[in-house]
Amino acid sequence: MIEVAGLRVVLPPSTVALENVDLSIARGEFVVVLGRSGAGKTTFLRCLNRLVEPTSGTIRVAGRTVTGAGPVAVREIRRQIGMVFQQFNLVRRASAIDNVLAGRLGYVPPVASLLGSFPNADRQLARVCLDQVGLGHLAERRADKLSGGEQQRVAIARALAQRPEVILADEPTASLDPTLTSSIMDILKAINTQQGLTLVVSQHQLETALAYATRIVGFREGRVAFDGPPAAVTPTVVRAIYGQET
Amino acid sequence: MKRAVIFIAAVILIAIAWDTGADPVRLARGLPWIFDFVRRMLPPDPSVLPAALLGALKTLEIALLGTAAAAVLALPLGFLSARNVAPRAVFYPARAVLNFFRSVDTQVYALVLVAAVGLGPFPGVLAVVAYTTTSLAKLYGEAVEGVDPGPVDAITATGATRLQVLRFGVIPQVLPLFLSYILYRLETNIRAATVLGFVGAGGIGFYLQTYLRMIDYRAASTVLLVTVAMVMVVDAISSRLRDRLV
Repeated sequence: MIEVAGLRVVLPPSTVALENVDLSIARGEFVVVLGRSGAGKTTFLRCLNRLVEPTSGTIRVAGRTVTGAGPVAVREIRRQIGMVFQQFNLVRRASAIDNVLAGRLGYVPPVASLLGSFPNADRQLARVCLDQVGLGHLAERRADKLSGGEQQRVAIARALAQRPEVILADEPTASLDPTLTSSIMDILKAINTQQGLTLVVSQHQLETALAYATRIVGFREGRVAFDGPPAAVTPTVVRAIYGQET
Repeated sequence: MKRAVIFIAAVILIAIAWDTGADPVRLARGLPWIFDFVRRMLPPDPSVLPAALLGALKTLEIALLGTAAAAVLALPLGFLSARNVAPRAVFYPARAVLNFFRSVDTQVYALVLVAAVGLGPFPGVLAVVAYTTTSLAKLYGEAVEGVDPGPVDAITATGATRLQVLRFGVIPQVLPLFLSYILYRLETNIRAATVLGFVGAGGIGFYLQTYLRMIDYRAASTVLLVTVAMVMVVDAISSRLRDRLV
């Protein structure tokens, strides 16, 4: 589902964020990406949908080549990849349902959408997605009037509304109260097991990562320092990912 | 260091005072004439009230129409002068053009436009449009540069087009700011429009100048009072609306 070969990213002016990353992720995997902050987790996720421009290497997602794709192709690829962010990134002044509807922007007629008009089928799909994260009853509430956990669920619904093959989640629980971590991770896990979507989730909490992942990828200083099942994560592996201090 | 700066600043200001002929003794000598002037303005002449009100209405119309037209015209310019939206090749020229035209005041535009299209409120409207378009565009541009990049990333990640990203990621964030800037400009434009009549561009300023020339100070004071009342009423309404927006 996701193939990454020889990925290298240099962020301006000259920070090497990723170096020599090779990864192949199969359909239906739940990959958790670990690493200290600055290890390259976010850059890696953002390369997969070209929010960050890779310096060299190739990336393929859902059978299409992401690297080097033209503007139209990039948009078509992005439709297939839902993304969930640490800061939720909802449009604060818009209602929950309108935020979910934004997930359909890659599919609906562009000109009509600019005037705020969406086909009924898309509106219904948005509602189904909002129901799926358990927030159907808050559809009309403005995003900034929702709690943090609710906002992240709306963001997940927005990603689901894209009917994607892959969902990327960049530290989806890092801005939330620790007690909410499992509720968000449970929703992501359910999407993975029930709908068969491929998930790539970055996490800073080791225990959470081990509890949910089918596969762990550890980044250290922009390189893959570990790649294997959660059961193989030994104290030695943890040191290899996080360094000596932890 | 600090003392040296203060000393130098003081020397410069004293030199400027000498150069401009600023002289407290002259001011003191002039005071009786100011009191005499005020005395001759009292009581205001109520017979010119209808003319003054008509002039005030014209001024209000000039400011309203000019601001409304400028608010729309400034939209494309504003986005083109925002670093995070416009391509670099567009952004720098757009900034330069805005800074150039913004350095010319409404009054100066009015002088030129009266010469071009003749006397009356129309050159006044054009002058307000000329100045306000560029000043609003600058404010719009700065608001667009200040948007939270999170929602913009999120909308981009759905596969949305550039225009859709603007419409759903940027505009909801900047709209309340834009409206607040427009109201603020309306306030300042009403003040600017009161003196447009001095150069023949219509409105209440025309009456003020006429009565002053006719040495009819009691009529002039009626016009002044109407001006003050109009500005205060508009300021009060506008600032109340602006409070609601933020």
